[in-house]
Amino acid sequence: MSNYSMKDIEWAKINKDVLASLESPRAAFWIVLAVCVTLVLCGVTAEVYQYNNGLGVALMDRPHYWQLYISNFVFWIGMSHSGTLLSAILLLTKADWRKPIYRFAEAMTLFSILTAAIFPVIHLGRVWYMYWVLPYPNERTIWPNFRSPLLWDAAAITTYALSSILFLYVGMIPDLAICRDNAKGWRKKLYTALSVGWMGRATEWMAFRKTYVLIACFLVPLAVSVHSIVASDFAMSIMPDWHITSFPPYFVAGALYSGCAAIITLFVMLRYIFKFEAYMTTEIMDKTAKLTFAIAMVWNFLNLGEYASIWYSNDMFEKEVLIQKFIGPYAPVVWGMLICAMVAPFAMAFEKFRHNMWAMFWLSLVLQLGMWLERFQIVSPPLASNHEPWTWAVVWPGTVQLTLTAASFGWFTMLFLIFCKVFPSVSMYEVKEMVFHRRRASSRDEIEDIDKIKDEVMRSEGGLA
Amino acid sequence: MRRKKHLLFATYEDFDKAREAVAELKILDLKEMIVENIELYSPIEHPEVEEMLGHFNQPIQRFTFFGAITGTMSAFLLVAAAAQAMFTVQPQGGKPVIPLPTDIVIMYEGTILFGVLSTLFAFFLYAGLPRSVKKHYNPKVSEDHIGIEVQVQPENMEKVRTALQSNGALEIREVTQ
Repeated sequence: MSNYSMKDIEWAKINKDVLASLESPRAAFWIVLAVCVTLVLCGVTAEVYQYNNGLGVALMDRPHYWQLYISNFVFWIGMSHSGTLLSAILLLTKADWRKPIYRFAEAMTLFSILTAAIFPVIHLGRVWYMYWVLPYPNERTIWPNFRSPLLWDAAAITTYALSSILFLYVGMIPDLAICRDNAKGWRKKLYTALSVGWMGRATEWMAFRKTYVLIACFLVPLAVSVHSIVASDFAMSIMPDWHITSFPPYFVAGALYSGCAAIITLFVMLRYIFKFEAYMTTEIMDKTAKLTFAIAMVWNFLNLGEYASIWYSNDMFEKEVLIQKFIGPYAPVVWGMLICAMVAPFAMAFEKFRHNMWAMFWLSLVLQLGMWLERFQIVSPPLASNHEPWTWAVVWPGTVQLTLTAASFGWFTMLFLIFCKVFPSVSMYEVKEMVFHRRRASSRDEIEDIDKIKDEVMRSEGGLA
Repeated sequence: MRRKKHLLFATYEDFDKAREAVAELKILDLKEMIVENIELYSPIEHPEVEEMLGHFNQPIQRFTFFGAITGTMSAFLLVAAAAQAMFTVQPQGGKPVIPLPTDIVIMYEGTILFGVLSTLFAFFLYAGLPRSVKKHYNPKVSEDHIGIEVQVQPENMEKVRTALQSNGALEIREVTQ
C-alpha cells in the first residue's frame, strides 16, 4: 500500500464530489431513511402508551427498576466516544488518515449523545420532572444533590454535548464557506449564516488552527470523564457486580470499542450511499480496523481482569452473581456477548479481512451487538440476584422497551443521514491538506530517489574509471 | 470622513507562485515603502504564512487558561453555595457541608465547559468573525486558488500590479472600499 495514496486527487474534484453528496445520494439513502422514520414513529407510539399507562407497561418493577433504558443509555453514551477519539487524539498526534472520516465520526458523537439523553427521560416515567437535574432550587429552596452521580451525569453529558457541538461546528466552518460559495436557495442562506463570513484569510486560518487544537485538548479528558461518570452510576452503589473499582476504565474501553465499531459501520454505509470510494479508502479502513482491534484487546483484558478480581476476592455475593451470569437465566446474553465482542474481533487480525469492506461492515454490526449485550448483562443480571434473595426475579424486557430500543437506532440513523444530506460529511479542506502534504512528500521522495540513482551512477562510473 | 482603501486582489493557481509574489512585494516594500498591508487567502492552512507575512499575535490560549480557571471557580461556588442553601433546610448529620471529593467532578466539568467557551470566544475575536463576505472575494479561493490582497496607494498601484503579474497572477481585481 502506498504511503501517498490519494495524492493525485484534484482539489476542485474534492469540492465537486463532496458537494454532490449533498444533492444526489443513491436510492439506498431514501430506503434507509424511510425505515428509520418508521422505527421512530413506532417509538413515539410506545412512549405515548407508556406515558399514559405508567412504567408498569415496560415491565419495570422491583428488583428490575433499571433495565433496557439504562442499558441503552450506557450504550449510546459509549457510542459517542470514538468520534472524539478519532478526531481529537488523532488530530493531536497528527495522524493524517483521520481527515476523510473524522467529520462523520464527530457527527456520530453528537447524535449518539442526543439519543442517549432521551433514555433517562423515558426511564423517569414522569418526564415532566426532568428539570430536577438542573442546578436550580425547587419551590422549597432545595437544590439538587451534587453528591449524586446522577447529577454528575447531567453535568458531564451537558458539557460533552455542548463541547462536541462546538468542536464539530468550528471544524466545519471552512467547509460551510465552500458550501456557501456553491449553493443556491435556502441552502445558500443557511451556509451563509453558519459560515460567519469565513474567507480563508491567513488571520482566520491561524486562529482556527489554534482553537481547534485547544478544544481537542479539552475533549480528550472530557470524553474519558463522561464515561467514567456513567460507570460511577453503577460503581458508587453497593450492588454486587456493580461496586467495582475497575468499572470506569472498563467502561471507557468499552465505549471506545463500540464507537470504533460504529465508525466502521457508518464508514461502509457512507462510502456506498454517497459514493465516497475515492476518499474512504481501503488504507483508512485498514488503520481504523487495526485501532478497533487494539481497543478490543484492551477491553478483553479489562473484562477478564474483572472476572478474575471477582473470583479471587471470594466475596460470596459477587461470586454468586458471576456464576449466575454464566449458568443462570441470563447466560445466553453473557455467552452471546463473549462470542460477539471477545472472539469475533480476532477476524480483524487478518489483512484480507480488514480489506474487505462488506466483511468489515457485518463484523462491525456483530461487535456492536456484542457491546449492546454487554451493557444489558451489566444492568440486568445483578438486579436479578442481588443482596435480597426474596426479591430475586428474572424479567426480560417487554415489547415497549424493545420498541423504544429499536426506535433509538432509527432515531440515531435518521439524524445522522439528515446531517450528511445537509452538511458535508467529508471534510473538504482537510482532505485537500492531506493531498497537498502527500503530494509534497511524494515529490520530495522522488527527488531523493533520483539523487540516490545519480550517486550510484557516479560511484559506479568512478569505480569503472 | 473615512479614508478610502485601495486594494488589489490577485489570484494564483498554486501556493508556491503566491509565495514568490509575496516575497517580491516584501522586497518592493523594503525598497520603496509602498505596500500598506498584505492578506493571503487560501483553501487550506499554510503554516509558512507566518514566515511570509510576519507573526500573528493571537493569544487565544490565554483566554482558554483564564476561562478554564473561571469555570473551576464558578463550579466550586455553585456547589458550595448550593450546599449552604441546603444547610438551612436539611440537617447535615455529620456530613461535610462542602464535600470536596464529590465537588471535584462538577468543578472538572465546569473547567472544561468554560475553557471551551472562552476559546471559542477568542477564536471569533482574533479571526475577526462574524463578518460579511467582501465584495471582491473570489469563490475560487475556497476551491483551489490562492488569493493575495494588497492595500496600496493609487499612485503605486501599477508597480504592485506588475509585481503580482510577473509571478503568474491569473486575475487581478482593483477594488476601492
